Amino acid sequence: MLEIKPIFNALLRSKVSTFLLLVEIAITVAIVSVAAFVIVDRVNYLQQETGYPEESLLHFSVLTFGDVDRMQQIELDEQMLRNIPDVENAVFMQDVPLSGSGSASSFNSQPDPEIENNKSVRAAYTAGDENMIDTLGVNLIAGRDFNPDEIKYGLSMENPPTVIIASKAFVDEMFPEGDGLGQTVYFGPAPIKIIGIVEEMKGPWLQDSRADNMVIFPYVEVRSFDHYVVRTNPEERTAIKRQIEELMLANYDKRVINPAIGFDEAKAQYNAGDILMARMLMVIIVVLIMITIVGIFGLTLFNISKRTKQIGTRRALGARKSDIVKYFLVENAMVCIVGLVVGSAGAVYLGTLLLQEYSLPALDNAFILYTAGFVFLISLMSVLVPANRAANISPSIATRSI
Amino acid sequence: MLSMKNISKVYQTEKVRTHALRDFDLQVNEGEFIAVTGPSGSGKTTFLNIAGMLEGYSSGEYLLDDVNVGQLSDNQRADLRNQKIGFIFQGFNLIPDLNLYENVEVPLRYRGIKSAERKRRIEECLEKVGLGSRAKHLPQQLSGGQQQRVAIARALAGQPRFLLADEPTGNLDSLMARQVMELLEEINRDGATIVMVTHDPELARRAPRNIQVVDGQLADFTLYQSREKDILTPNPQLNPSSNPAEA
Repeated sequence: MLEIKPIFNALLRSKVSTFLLLVEIAITVAIVSVAAFVIVDRVNYLQQETGYPEESLLHFSVLTFGDVDRMQQIELDEQMLRNIPDVENAVFMQDVPLSGSGSASSFNSQPDPEIENNKSVRAAYTAGDENMIDTLGVNLIAGRDFNPDEIKYGLSMENPPTVIIASKAFVDEMFPEGDGLGQTVYFGPAPIKIIGIVEEMKGPWLQDSRADNMVIFPYVEVRSFDHYVVRTNPEERTAIKRQIEELMLANYDKRVINPAIGFDEAKAQYNAGDILMARMLMVIIVVLIMITIVGIFGLTLFNISKRTKQIGTRRALGARKSDIVKYFLVENAMVCIVGLVVGSAGAVYLGTLLLQEYSLPALDNAFILYTAGFVFLISLMSVLVPANRAANISPSIATRSI
Repeated sequence: MLSMKNISKVYQTEKVRTHALRDFDLQVNEGEFIAVTGPSGSGKTTFLNIAGMLEGYSSGEYLLDDVNVGQLSDNQRADLRNQKIGFIFQGFNLIPDLNLYENVEVPLRYRGIKSAERKRRIEECLEKVGLGSRAKHLPQQLSGGQQQRVAIARALAGQPRFLLADEPTGNLDSLMARQVMELLEEINRDGATIVMVTHDPELARRAPRNIQVVDGQLADFTLYQSREKDILTPNPQLNPSSNPAEA
């Protein structure tokens, strides 16, 4: 016997506490479902594969002064870095992946982008010599690595690079038929042949919509900042980081060596805002759920203390203990269900708002469904303890004149 | 119908042991109307609670319609209470959030009676107490006397064979009290057995049988054939020096 109608009527007559509970549940469902969705989205983003053995890689930048042959110095520096014990390989690079700083451009299927059937795909790009693929530790799944004779030292319009190695995501977007290897793309008017495909290779900006599109050119060009990437035995990386400045200055001392940083550390710095946001949302979820549990628990206890005599009377009139527990569970469930419906509508609205204002992905309705189910469950659990206490009220309370 | 043999009830706290009832013997037959009187703290309400299975007893034997109450589980006692006993409380004990119809419906719902039958009984009982037209009113919209009549309707709706009334007129003025008493007499004439705890000697005098509880014992046991006779007769077996509370 669930007493739905009299409970419903009784709830309508105690509007304030019913309304407060309903609002509390609605707010919890709306905020928790959206926050949980954002957290899962961020966690998926933070845990995405980058294609690099991040804990084995480090990079550092160098600002060089004085009259020195920079190209020659790069050769010397690379050689010195490769000779450090536990260093697997080292390379001079134009821009460093995952660092938050780099270059990007559109690559075209036709020499003239204005041609009607031209296909244009945006990708980040970097450049280095034949040690690049090995140093980055990425997985070359098709084609081949650069040959030493393909590396251009100093970039010029007369002698542009003619080959590239690209990430599979870029090649597949450019050539959806899957026949990208060996095909030609155009970087400006210059034709470039895809000679190798890397399984996974993120660009410098993880939050970019084309973060998976990455292209590597075979050239070395000096700029104001020189970037070096070193792949080491992961256990020795910290020790090697400490030696780098001293060893680089010993090679040539008129320069500033910025502290070396691991790829994973650079990624964490780049994602610091997202990590903080995910943590804050987690705290908000926990606090909201705690407030809901305490609120329901407290309100039920208050209702019980207010209705002690009524509960005793119900027991005197033939209610079993289980009837009393059921009464409070049904009462709570009825308020909760209305709260869940209102909260779910609020979550949909909030999701739409976030989609419009902050370009977040569309809220997955499964999150609303799971959150509503979870809130319903914790709401019933919160009632169970006070309801059991109510069930133990002696029916003899009915005859006491208090 | 009701048989209590050597019923004792002891309340035990860390320092105090209180005998609320001692060796209480009582037989109540079908169709009787009994008034229970006695000074405050004498054990009247404890007797009523035990008779109504609202609380247990420490020793003795209590049979209700030949069912040994002491051997029942909590659920069985709740079911028996619901089926056989109607309660009328001094403070009416109506549920303030429910209207009169819903209040009278409470014991019927616990019995699992179907909706149509519930409706028939509720309307019949509210008519009987003269409140048929006020079914949708809330208790607080009624006078004390009317509220007690609703409580009587609630007690009657389950068609109990045994009505327990705890000071049913205690919160009413004399006119209302008389009306309620007349209603109880009518219910008794219809066949229900009534045990009524009261402080009011005039009401007690109207009951065909009076018992007095003093210091947790049945102090006086008098079956009156005539309402003109005195109610209380000293019981020579009662030990006036007995003290219900022992340190």
